[in-house]
Amino acid sequence: MERPDSIMSNPIKNIALGMLGMFIGALIFILGMTAGVVMSRPGGLLFAGASPFSPHPSNAAVSAAQSDAATEQQGLNYALINDVIRRLRTQWYGEMPSSAKLTDGAIKGLVNALGDEFTQYVEPRFAKMLNEDMTGAFEGIGATLKQTPSGAIQIVRTFPGMPADRGGVLPGDIIEAVNGVNVQGLNSTEVAAMVRGPRGTEVTLTLRRADRPRPFQVTLVRERIEIPLVSSRMVGDGSIGYISLLDFSQPASRQLEKHLREILEKQPKALILDLRDNPGGLLSQAREVGDIFLKKGVFIIERDYRGNKKVSSTTDRGIAQDIPMVVLVNGGSASAAEIVAGAMQDTGRATLIGERTFGKGSVQSPQTLSNGGQLRITIERWYTPNDRAIHGVGITPDYIVSNSPEDARDGKDPQLEAAIEFLTSGKTPPPTPFPTVAPTPLP
Amino acid sequence: MSRTEKALAVVAFCLWSAMMVGVGYVARMLTAPVELRIERIYSSGGHALLDEAWGHVRNHFVGSVPSDTLRNYGAVRGALATLNDRYTTFVEPQPRALERDHIRGSFGGIGVNFARNERGEIVLSPMPDGPAAKAGVREGDILISIDGAPLPSPAALEDVARIRGEVGTPVTIEVLRGPQRERLKFTIVRQMIEVKSVEWRPITSTVRGAAATIGYVRIIHFTERTGEEVRRALAALAAADSQAYLIDLRDNGGGLLAAAVDVASEFLREGVVAIEQRRNHPDIVHRVITGRPKPAGDKPVAILVNSNTASAAEIVAGAIQDHKRGLLIGTKTFGKGSVQLVFDLSDGSAVRLTAARWLTPQRRELDGIGLTPDVEVSGSAEEQLDRAIAELGEAMRRAQ
Repeated sequence: MERPDSIMSNPIKNIALGMLGMFIGALIFILGMTAGVVMSRPGGLLFAGASPFSPHPSNAAVSAAQSDAATEQQGLNYALINDVIRRLRTQWYGEMPSSAKLTDGAIKGLVNALGDEFTQYVEPRFAKMLNEDMTGAFEGIGATLKQTPSGAIQIVRTFPGMPADRGGVLPGDIIEAVNGVNVQGLNSTEVAAMVRGPRGTEVTLTLRRADRPRPFQVTLVRERIEIPLVSSRMVGDGSIGYISLLDFSQPASRQLEKHLREILEKQPKALILDLRDNPGGLLSQAREVGDIFLKKGVFIIERDYRGNKKVSSTTDRGIAQDIPMVVLVNGGSASAAEIVAGAMQDTGRATLIGERTFGKGSVQSPQTLSNGGQLRITIERWYTPNDRAIHGVGITPDYIVSNSPEDARDGKDPQLEAAIEFLTSGKTPPPTPFPTVAPTPLP
Repeated sequence: MSRTEKALAVVAFCLWSAMMVGVGYVARMLTAPVELRIERIYSSGGHALLDEAWGHVRNHFVGSVPSDTLRNYGAVRGALATLNDRYTTFVEPQPRALERDHIRGSFGGIGVNFARNERGEIVLSPMPDGPAAKAGVREGDILISIDGAPLPSPAALEDVARIRGEVGTPVTIEVLRGPQRERLKFTIVRQMIEVKSVEWRPITSTVRGAAATIGYVRIIHFTERTGEEVRRALAALAAADSQAYLIDLRDNGGGLLAAAVDVASEFLREGVVAIEQRRNHPDIVHRVITGRPKPAGDKPVAILVNSNTASAAEIVAGAIQDHKRGLLIGTKTFGKGSVQLVFDLSDGSAVRLTAARWLTPQRRELDGIGLTPDVEVSGSAEEQLDRAIAELGEAMRRAQ
């Protein structure tokens, strides 16, 4: 201050000013206190905004009746959840989770209410892992996961020679924890994000297996997952070409066509296309694979969230349109694999042998939320040329033949044997009795 | 004053005013109820996120979206799941109504028990002299519709619950009878149906060559009516000259805490029945209810327990054991030492949440531990009963 003494020049004025100051001070204090009372009162401005699930923070005056009527069109009615949260805060014995965690849970619950296992919410911490780790999809342990109806995370498949397979992880194992972190309440995408990571790093899985009394741990070193997409050979008495396709990633159709050309040179009398445990991939690849085997016709019907129906056809330029053919499928055949199998079955192009397919005929679109979480929403569903739904239904093969776990252990493959038998001698596999359905109890 | 000084004074005044407003506000918050202050901690805008998520789903999801109600239930379930407490759950209106009837021990109904046969059908078994029996419903009739609405197949207990309603109102049911599956229709006026939570009988035993009576009381569940039922049973058993009492709490999964305190008070003179520990709250001590006649007096008591004896039943057993009032006979109890409160929500649903832990009078923890019986008998139900009768015979001999 330039002249510190100037204000001292008139002591009386100073005293008056000081008293006025104190008076104004007291007034403002009272004002502040009143503001505190008004704003923090239930129904008051701050209270409405403070509640984590309040629908209209900026419009606290909206009456309950109004907001109820409005919710059906535009959002959620938060009265119920607010009531529950309030009870928890005042009454729950345990430690309250953070507001962010409660919200994550509420979003998961909301999404679960849709009844679509593929519409998932990925919590911010895992969404971050998915986004940061671009190589993630290719570096890991070489296994695929799914969520069971009860919410458990199960190994569906392990790729031969990859870390999970070498470490003794088996399809059917339930993952209880990853690196000691319990996965309860997490979905398959979130657990996959935890399991993946840069090659050379370790991941410890706590697994539960049906025949073991207690969970056990397996430590695996992550690797780059590279598996030949297509393998082929001649089977039976050497007259049947066998081609297996691992998934429908980018190079699938090109590699398949290359193998197929080599096989066709050997003039096989029939073909077996093995789509077992093929989890799908790109729809464009499914179309191109369809093009190889199918004549011109409807290949797939897509229906999106707007109700739009899109019908796509094959091109009639395939190199194997007439040769007798069996497609092998099982419960691990999903998505693009089901499209191809379904089109082959509907058009009568091939006979399907194996087990009912997975039943995932849908496309998810990821949406990033403002908290960094990711919402993966099913935006489109697929139908076979005859307009059969795939989603939640799967494709039932023409002949049901099952491989037991013992078969896999003993190196047997009854499904492939049945296909060879069918193509060689025309002998159909014995009909499998369907599970008996109890008679309808009510008239 | 120079312009600089004026400007400074204005700035200082503004800052000071702002500070005072802040001080006033903080003062208010400090004097606010705890609940309000806790509320402030959760003030980040989670609601916006839920709306955002729901907006995406509504705009892009290909399937049909569930009703407003189901979405809300889903969100509530999801939020509760983050607590990782299996006893803190959301209860939908239908099951909640059943649960309420169960706890109350009475409801408006027609007096039938249900069973499911191997075909998944609902088989009726009318209670003797109940409204259904009087209307002509017979054992073995198969229920197919309630008020004109056919039952789904297979029907869940919740579907059958529509048969209940307000006392005095009619309900029309259709049944199939006999091998011919004859279709019959009954319209029955609902009456108050009371569900027994207590069974009792005198057991005759021999002490020193003379016949002695043991009053046997089995408590199935602790409902609002249990205390009264137990008192009536004890009075009748005392009138039959019972010299000891055997309380059977096997397979009793619990119920109301108040009923447990009420029942335990029948056998204790004074002191503590259980201690309830809450979060951010002093302990609540549940004391023996005094100042009323206690028919069992100081006569020997034994309690039968097993691994399904839980919650309220463990409160009774734990109090008897800690007060050394009688022996616990059987196998180790379940060990559920938490108390749930049920809060009914606006639409008839409810949230059941773990609000407290309880301890025995000696402040023993029970959660996941259970009560160890004084006399372990792991054999059949009959062996346990026989052993209890023998132990009470011994106690009566000493008492003589």
